[in-house]
Amino acid sequence: MNDSKLKRFFQDFYLVFVLIFLYAPILTMMVLSFNSSKSRTDWGGFTLDWYRQMFQSSSIMDALYNTLLIAFISALAATILGTVAAIGINQMKRLPRSIAMGVNNIPMLNSEIVTGISLMLAFLAFGISLGFKTILLSHITFCVPYVILSVMPKLKQTSRYTYEAAMDLGAGPVEAFFKVVLPDIMPGVLSGFLLAFTMSLDDFIITHFTRGAGINTLSTLIYSEVRRGIKPSMYALSTIIFLTVLALLLITNFSPEKSPASGEKEKAGRSRRETARRILLVAASFCVIAAVSFTTYSHYAAARSNELYVYNWGEYIDETVIEDFEKETGIHVIYDLFETNEEMYPVIEAGGVAYDAVCPSDYMIQKMIENDLLAEINFDNIPNISQIDPEYMERSRSFDPENRYSVPYTWGTVGILYNDKLVEKLGAEPPDSWMDLWDEKFSGEILMQDSVRDAFMCALKGLGYSLNSTDPDELNQAKDLLIRQKPLIQAYVIDQVRDKMLGGEAAVGVIYSGEMLYLQELAEGKDFNLEYVIPKEGTNLWIDSWVIPKNAKNKENAEKWIDFLCRPDIAKRNFEYITYATPNRGAFEMLDEELQQNKAVFPDWDSLTNAEVYRYLGDEADSIYNELWKEVKSN
Amino acid sequence: MNKNASRFLAGPYIIWMIGFTVIPLIMIILYCLTDGDGAFTLANVAAIATPEHRKALFLSLGLSLVSTLICLVMAYPLALILRKRNVGQGSFIVFIFILPMWMNFLLRTMAWQTLLEKNGVINGILSALHLPNLAIINTPWAIILGMVYNFLPFMVLPIYNVLIKIDDDVINAAQDLGASTAQTITKILIPLSLPGIISGINMVFVPALTTFVISNLLGGSKILLIGNVIEQEFTKGSNWHLGSGLSLVLMFFILVSMALMAKYDKEGEGTAF
Repeated sequence: MNDSKLKRFFQDFYLVFVLIFLYAPILTMMVLSFNSSKSRTDWGGFTLDWYRQMFQSSSIMDALYNTLLIAFISALAATILGTVAAIGINQMKRLPRSIAMGVNNIPMLNSEIVTGISLMLAFLAFGISLGFKTILLSHITFCVPYVILSVMPKLKQTSRYTYEAAMDLGAGPVEAFFKVVLPDIMPGVLSGFLLAFTMSLDDFIITHFTRGAGINTLSTLIYSEVRRGIKPSMYALSTIIFLTVLALLLITNFSPEKSPASGEKEKAGRSRRETARRILLVAASFCVIAAVSFTTYSHYAAARSNELYVYNWGEYIDETVIEDFEKETGIHVIYDLFETNEEMYPVIEAGGVAYDAVCPSDYMIQKMIENDLLAEINFDNIPNISQIDPEYMERSRSFDPENRYSVPYTWGTVGILYNDKLVEKLGAEPPDSWMDLWDEKFSGEILMQDSVRDAFMCALKGLGYSLNSTDPDELNQAKDLLIRQKPLIQAYVIDQVRDKMLGGEAAVGVIYSGEMLYLQELAEGKDFNLEYVIPKEGTNLWIDSWVIPKNAKNKENAEKWIDFLCRPDIAKRNFEYITYATPNRGAFEMLDEELQQNKAVFPDWDSLTNAEVYRYLGDEADSIYNELWKEVKSN
Repeated sequence: MNKNASRFLAGPYIIWMIGFTVIPLIMIILYCLTDGDGAFTLANVAAIATPEHRKALFLSLGLSLVSTLICLVMAYPLALILRKRNVGQGSFIVFIFILPMWMNFLLRTMAWQTLLEKNGVINGILSALHLPNLAIINTPWAIILGMVYNFLPFMVLPIYNVLIKIDDDVINAAQDLGASTAQTITKILIPLSLPGIISGINMVFVPALTTFVISNLLGGSKILLIGNVIEQEFTKGSNWHLGSGLSLVLMFFILVSMALMAKYDKEGEGTAF
């Protein structure tokens, strides 16, 4: 007795342990959805603001509809296709069966990224334009194996003679299937459907490669937000979805009609009835969701006549600016996001989606010009170009020699951010040189940028070379330097540098100047200051500009869009939202004097004597950089 | 007769798979065997032998094996307990393990960052209790944790699904005949649940071997897995030929493990039915 009590205690303990393990991150996220501070590491007080913002954000709502609709249709299709196929495969002879199972396993054994890319290649090769339907087809494809894998074990457990017995007793094949086989494999079918639905819901990589313009699922939306930090309204949405599913589960499991079981057969009958009831309930609720989503989707799909496809960085515009533009011009904007220049380029090059206005950085613009991907801008349609400070047009000549293809949007520098208290505690001087990132005192306290060009920039500049160096000897020295630095580094990051520095996780980090306003605001009231310094060796001066791809279908609309963004009041509003320095003179003059004097955001030109703009170095040099970087990372 | 007929039920599916799996795969193989100018080459496959690729591959194999093992060790007792506790409430359990997946996995993995960080939630609790701090973030251990966390349900569900199918009478009979609990588990339950274990191992090992998001988010991008290498070739390096070559090598490794599994599956069938 005692023994079994002890056993039971251990069992309970283990169950609770696993549940905590599974649900701790979810709880964390729920708590963060009520956090009034935007940072992941900082508690700023209770708020419901994120929930309000979530319902107001059309991008989140659209993504939600798309996600649910795609998940539902693909799970349903995959379940039907998969269950039927499993029965067929189960009846096959050995050889065809193992071939079929082998093919079935391909989407699972392949890395998701290869499945995604291979589908994208196939779609493009057969002239199917990327969009909603390609996501759907891909999702069905990768969901089916999960259904088959959950149905197969069930089928193997059912006796193959029950079906034949039913037929002998006079049932038709269809009747025998629904009365004998299906109830037996129902748990497998159901868990297959659920798995497929959740896999589709959770998928990011395959969607990422097979989606077209203007279509986002929650995953791709979250991914595009990663660069500048995830908005807590995303946590809010996840919390609501989670609680809804939880409620659904509780309703279906603890509904009243539960009579005490007596005898195996009744129990089996009851659980069968319950299963059927549950399926009905689940199916009904999903039908509602699907119906709502579909009407909304078709509504959005129909609203496009005069349109503009925009491709921009995540969180790189004030969303109300888009709304104002739509109101003023009557042009419907399809707004799409990318995270890195390198990710944007193949999309434009492949031309699967024809974007009208894109906002890449300097060196990438040069690459696009050299590869003849850009259209000349007709500046007669952009009278507000006069608002752009000539200084920036001049700087732009390094990548757009005749100022024919690009209009500057934001600019900034790369520098070192440090936590004054932590630096003092480590007994180090405040950094003023790139080589301070190699100081042993900062061991485990350094955050490096996780991108090839930026990482090599730190090393090349530290060695006194040009950041556009293609000299193999100089690059090898930089590589060795970076390898030497690796043990000292806490993590290679992109956007997370901001949150980690705010949370006091690290002492120094490499950061873009545009983050400074935001950081200084949030660091107020903490027991440390975050200071930004441009190292004395010089740094990278970058410019992000609007360009129009050659295959744009709405070039005039794109010019209207660029002109609109150059309007001083609009540029000011954008600046206040994204906090990256604006090259717009009119907007700059409207700012508070204190802001104008903020040297971290708007550095003096004199202090930037050693600053260089990245240039496109050619495909060969690009691959040398990538090879060396891979060596650094794998070391 | 009906056997012959029902075999063709797989027809639509076979056609689907040829269209959306086999043909795209052929595209990848085409990319793998050509270079940028379209000439035939084997260099993309041979590239796996370079030190950085080899290292990434071995690290991926190691980490995914360890996390598959941990998942199995965690999941089996769990499935046994769940089987004992929840007669007739099957889908409830399924839900408990599928429910976390309704929160986006990028978000959930980010949440582990918040928990594990130097000044994170777990270390906050440990400090309050005057216990030594946990420093696993940005190490391979954090990646293993992330893999186990993300893929554990894929191990629990198939095992559980097979276990609940086992009749209580079988277990009672074993015990009546004098089998101890340990003997019942090793001689009865494990052999009978082998199909579940095998599909569980497949469902954990494969995504673990090919992941790149988990290593990026929890490894501080300091740890390069083969998945990261392939991802970078496709998205950042723009060398799709090399990426295709490496992923074919990866496929080979997975095929080997699948073949091993299939062998054990066959034996498992022999004793299970």
